[in-house]
Amino acid sequence: MSQTPSPIGLHKQLDAIWRTPPGLARLSSVNHTILGKRFMALALLFFAIGGLLSMLIRAQLATPNSAFLGPDIYNQIFTMHGTVMMFLFAIPMFEGFAIYMLPKLLGARDLAFPRLTAYGFWCYLFGGSILIIAMLAGVAPNGGWFMYTPLSSKPYTPGINADVWLLGITFVEISAVTAAIELFVTILKMRAPGMALTRMPLFAWYMLVTAGMMIIGFPPLILGSILLEMERAFHLPFFDPTRGGDPLLWQHLFWLFGHPEVYIIFLPAAGALSTIIPVFAQRPILGYRAIIAAIVAMAFLSFGLWVHHMFTVGIPHLALAFFSAASALVAIPTAVQIFAWIGTLASGKPRWDIPMLYVFGFFAVFVCGGLTGVMLAMVPFNTQAHDSYFVVAHLHYVLVGGFVFPMLAAIYYWLPHISGRQSLYRLSIPAFWLILIGFNLTFFLMHLTGLMGMPRRISTYPSNWGWDWLNLLSSVGGFILTMGFALVLADMVLQFRFGARFRRDPWQAGTLEWATATPPPSYNFAAIPHMDTRADQLRPARIGPTLAGGDGYLGFARNGEQETLAVDMMSGDAEQLIVLPRRSYLPLWTAMATASFFLALLFKLYWLAPFGALATLVLFLCWPIGLGSKSDRGPIDIGRGLAVPPDVEAPDNVTVLANRTALVMNGTLFASLLFGGLFLLVVAPNWQGSSAPTLPLWAGALAVVASLSAAGASAMAARRPGSVLPLRAGLVAAIALQVLALTLLALSMGALGDPTGHARQAVPFVTLGYAALHCGLGAIMAAHALWRHAQGYVSARRRTELVLARLWNGYAGGVVVLALGLVALLGLNGVAP
Amino acid sequence: MPLVRLVAGFVIWSAGFVVLYAVQALGCAYGWGDWHRPVLIGLYLLALAPLSWLAIPARAGAEEGPLHFAALWANRAALLAAVLIFMPVTFASLCV
Ligand code: HEM
Ligand SMILES: [Cu+2]
Repeated sequence: MSQTPSPIGLHKQLDAIWRTPPGLARLSSVNHTILGKRFMALALLFFAIGGLLSMLIRAQLATPNSAFLGPDIYNQIFTMHGTVMMFLFAIPMFEGFAIYMLPKLLGARDLAFPRLTAYGFWCYLFGGSILIIAMLAGVAPNGGWFMYTPLSSKPYTPGINADVWLLGITFVEISAVTAAIELFVTILKMRAPGMALTRMPLFAWYMLVTAGMMIIGFPPLILGSILLEMERAFHLPFFDPTRGGDPLLWQHLFWLFGHPEVYIIFLPAAGALSTIIPVFAQRPILGYRAIIAAIVAMAFLSFGLWVHHMFTVGIPHLALAFFSAASALVAIPTAVQIFAWIGTLASGKPRWDIPMLYVFGFFAVFVCGGLTGVMLAMVPFNTQAHDSYFVVAHLHYVLVGGFVFPMLAAIYYWLPHISGRQSLYRLSIPAFWLILIGFNLTFFLMHLTGLMGMPRRISTYPSNWGWDWLNLLSSVGGFILTMGFALVLADMVLQFRFGARFRRDPWQAGTLEWATATPPPSYNFAAIPHMDTRADQLRPARIGPTLAGGDGYLGFARNGEQETLAVDMMSGDAEQLIVLPRRSYLPLWTAMATASFFLALLFKLYWLAPFGALATLVLFLCWPIGLGSKSDRGPIDIGRGLAVPPDVEAPDNVTVLANRTALVMNGTLFASLLFGGLFLLVVAPNWQGSSAPTLPLWAGALAVVASLSAAGASAMAARRPGSVLPLRAGLVAAIALQVLALTLLALSMGALGDPTGHARQAVPFVTLGYAALHCGLGAIMAAHALWRHAQGYVSARRRTELVLARLWNGYAGGVVVLALGLVALLGLNGVAP
Repeated sequence: MPLVRLVAGFVIWSAGFVVLYAVQALGCAYGWGDWHRPVLIGLYLLALAPLSWLAIPARAGAEEGPLHFAALWANRAALLAAVLIFMPVTFASLCV
């Protein structure tokens, strides 16, 4: 640090620390730039597959009485089209984009948990492959992308098809869970010093809210999938009305996820628009604070709409009115954003370029989709248009308008960042027009076929119903659209091969990602800048060379360690020094173990599944080996005259925040389970005269006492990290008590009565199972803390492991109390009408 | 914490939404009859109280962070959403 090396020298030193070597070692990469690119490339591949499937659909529907595919294959094709587009293309696409972009936008060198990023990627790849391979084998899911029961239950889908969906998608969702937690924590804690929350670029705000929505939105789907798979595999009734279940429970759980999901897809796209539009309007975005308020409103409102997918299932007027009003109202925050964008353009000096073409395409298409959305929010109209092609038209106007057009704008805007080259523009303009015209031809006509009564999900139709011409034209439009996408792809390839190189910041942007060299180096920034202004009004071309010269925080290579900074959540003051873990094959091995668990379930090798789960757990326990520090280092110099403690010595570091977030997510899953149990109790048929679950009272009471005492013991251990004996005693006690609680809960599960007979036994069975699992996890976290303490990683200052043990044991205690409360409620005699 | 204030209004809105929806279902399942609507209306008003308070700008001297404006408007939006979306408890048919 005394002698500053030249920019080139500094680059070499840092790159030696951060780089991923070529060859097979690529499989060990944990770098967010590399993984973000992998996520996006794979998502584009799935987009192509989904697009191919849609071409098959349109080929089949182009003419009446077509014998091209036949109904069985057709069912698989449209189900896979919807599933691939939603779960394997749209979600991973924006995740990959955020993974690539956020650290660069915020001024960090990587995400908070690089190995978790890699693990998420492998889960995405393996889970997605399961679905595609199943399709090639002819056993793809065929019950529609929302998998309604009873169609997807065992009697009506006896084959493996539905299991492929439930297990494959749940496997892929692991990557959404890890991404949500990681992005949430990174945005809150890992920004350039000085970047207060209110100085964050809007894209980071959008992703913060999106990550928050994923944390609440995904658990209901994951729970629903687990319950349905248990019903299919082990005959536990949750959705079977003859045994006290209710198919509507599936619809509630699915749409509790499914509606927020469309906003989860839209918000990142809107974040990209909010970044691109000001650059081309050549002025700062209008209404920065109003947009923040609007996305918060949108995020919450979108959770109050889910029943609008169920308007026709027969629910009271009052409930209809709630959800109808909320559905119409959510248009307002959307409109606030649209007006902010239009206002920004109107009051700026708009500059014409390819990304702007797609921005205008977005405006045109998305506004139409929004308007048909408000139409569908009205119950009487919805009753008419339900399950018709009008809905197919609406959903594509929203999804393609709200996601694909912004994505194309983003590709043209940011691809130069990845490639280091500028677009040639030859093909860009014809491609745009083909896409816009093709899209509207395909989907506008579907409004009409829908209003003429054509239902969705039919494999063919007779020719005398007047739908022939419209369908043929719609199919022609589909192929024009595909040609447009093919041109975009060619354009991208050409850009990588022949595009002109540029120095920095080709668009005169205002955000930090353009201050990196392009293509970006493995460590992003040779030095981390200090932010004195809002981080969307910077001069990247000027900042870039300064940072490359090492002028800023951490502008040096030290001890061969991957260093980056953590800041105070609100103010953005530098707070901790984070040393990130190096590249490793562990994420790959762990994901393979996880895959063996899912495959065992899929092929009904139920004896093997526990081994897969165990292997995953053991491998996860290997992750912390070698991480952390065995001595207190105290404040460390980070440049610019500042010194901060390493994050292991700080009480509220990213690890603790991530675990708190994970527990909120986990708690949402548990809350969904409680909701499911109460829902069945209150509305499911066939509860009259069912026998109550029999719970040995002493076992339940003792389990509560044991688990709560374990929580207390681990809390005590966390409070006295300095003194060895009480600490160890507390942790050992926590382990023993949780094991006791686990045993008691397992005993109670056995005593409930046959769980396959009635939901009144099945719900307590899984609820207690969930509680027992978390007692086990509490014990493991306590044991982990004990082990780390024995190795010297825990001290009075370095007590992350103790905090984690306290958190997980406290959570387990709370779960046991609530679980037994639910069981008691279901045990009351004669409650159900 | 300004972040808490930013989401406070809508957290209350969500809680109100869940409670009203649940009470609607419970009342029908267990046949609350004439009590059902008054309870719902009472809960409606109960939800509006804290929301109205959050929608008033903080008095002079209170914290005046930069997130303040966004929080204030998010909370006003929550109030508006509650007034409009919960309004049907006063007139819509409860169980059919
Ligand atoms: C590339 C152009 C596309 C074409 C030509 C197309 C065409 C279609 C058609 C014709 C259907 C109705 C199938 C039926 O009901 O029988 C459909 C369904 C669907 N599409 Fe697309 N689509 C395209 C792109 C997309 C995109 C980009 C997404 C999402 C991001 C998407 C998501 C869906 C979903 C969720 C369904 C419902 C599937 C179901 O009913 O289970 N599509 N698509
Ligand atoms: Cu919806």
